[in-house]
Amino acid sequence: MQFVVSFSFNSQSGSSFCGKRFTSDRIPHGTEIMVENSPSPLPERAIYGFVLFLGSQFGFFLYCMWAFIPEEWLHSIGLTYWPQKYWALAVPIYLLVALVISLVLLFGVNMNNTAPLDSVDNITDVYAQAQRTQDCHKGGIPRLKDVSISEVNNMFYLSPKL
Amino acid sequence: MEDEAYTDINGKAISLDCQSHSSLCREFTVSVPKVSIGKVMVNTCIVWLVAYGVFLLTENTAVLSSAIFITLVGMMLHIHFVKVDHESLLVIGSLGIQLSSSYASGRETTTFIEMSKIKDIVINEAIYMQQIIYYLCVLLKDPSEPNAVSSVVPLFQSSKPRLNCLVKVYKSCQEIISKC
Repeated sequence: MQFVVSFSFNSQSGSSFCGKRFTSDRIPHGTEIMVENSPSPLPERAIYGFVLFLGSQFGFFLYCMWAFIPEEWLHSIGLTYWPQKYWALAVPIYLLVALVISLVLLFGVNMNNTAPLDSVDNITDVYAQAQRTQDCHKGGIPRLKDVSISEVNNMFYLSPKL
Repeated sequence: MEDEAYTDINGKAISLDCQSHSSLCREFTVSVPKVSIGKVMVNTCIVWLVAYGVFLLTENTAVLSSAIFITLVGMMLHIHFVKVDHESLLVIGSLGIQLSSSYASGRETTTFIEMSKIKDIVINEAIYMQQIIYYLCVLLKDPSEPNAVSSVVPLFQSSKPRLNCLVKVYKSCQEIISKC
């Protein structure tokens, strides 16, 4: 039996200490602090989320401003070294086309890597051939091993159906 | 001697014929339905109508003659190299097995595998295109290493029957192969 040890990670910002604490005498660790691994809401996660939200809204506003305001006005403010407005259209289009192509490419690469019907990889592989055939410790749980395909076929198709 | 309604992996009807020549020798033949004249006519008409349309646009008579030539050559190559009429598996105990495919033009290809090279005949499942299919295959072994599978020869590749047909062939084959 293994007890779950979960402590919440006490961050530098001094957020509230949440999480349950169980003691366990089975885990021989030097330290007993573990990060809480549950997907529940935490104050740190709320802060990260809000920062990301503000950042993305600001980035979008900046992008729209750069794309719509004419060049002369930007020059008159003093912002002269910004990229060409061509990229305001080109970058999103490049990204979308790359996304679609990568989807098609993913299917293609997968189909290319699938072993053909006449390859030995459909039957066995290096690890299954190298497994030891003798079983040790009679009376215990047998070692986990790969059953050969001839045996599997015998069981499926030759044994009488119940 | 028996003929039941089996289908291939796509649902098209095929037929299986099992013959027992003796207690040690059996032959299984999977036949695919022949090229239907209706499909040939429809495809030819479509190709020629498209070629005629291109001719009307470009006013180039070479389009028409090349369409006729391509259709004829394409059909000849198809029935000679691609369209399989029937595939057969002949198992002779303690001698070997013979696989043969006969094409629609009458061409036949045969392969003989001797019994010392055969480890087993099994039904395996593998990924084929976007689906997983059952297929019957011969496992070959190296005489120097009798426990390892050296290569795999899939059977009935052009007709690709479904599991009920394969199980029938498998049971029959195992009666002969397990004896020797």
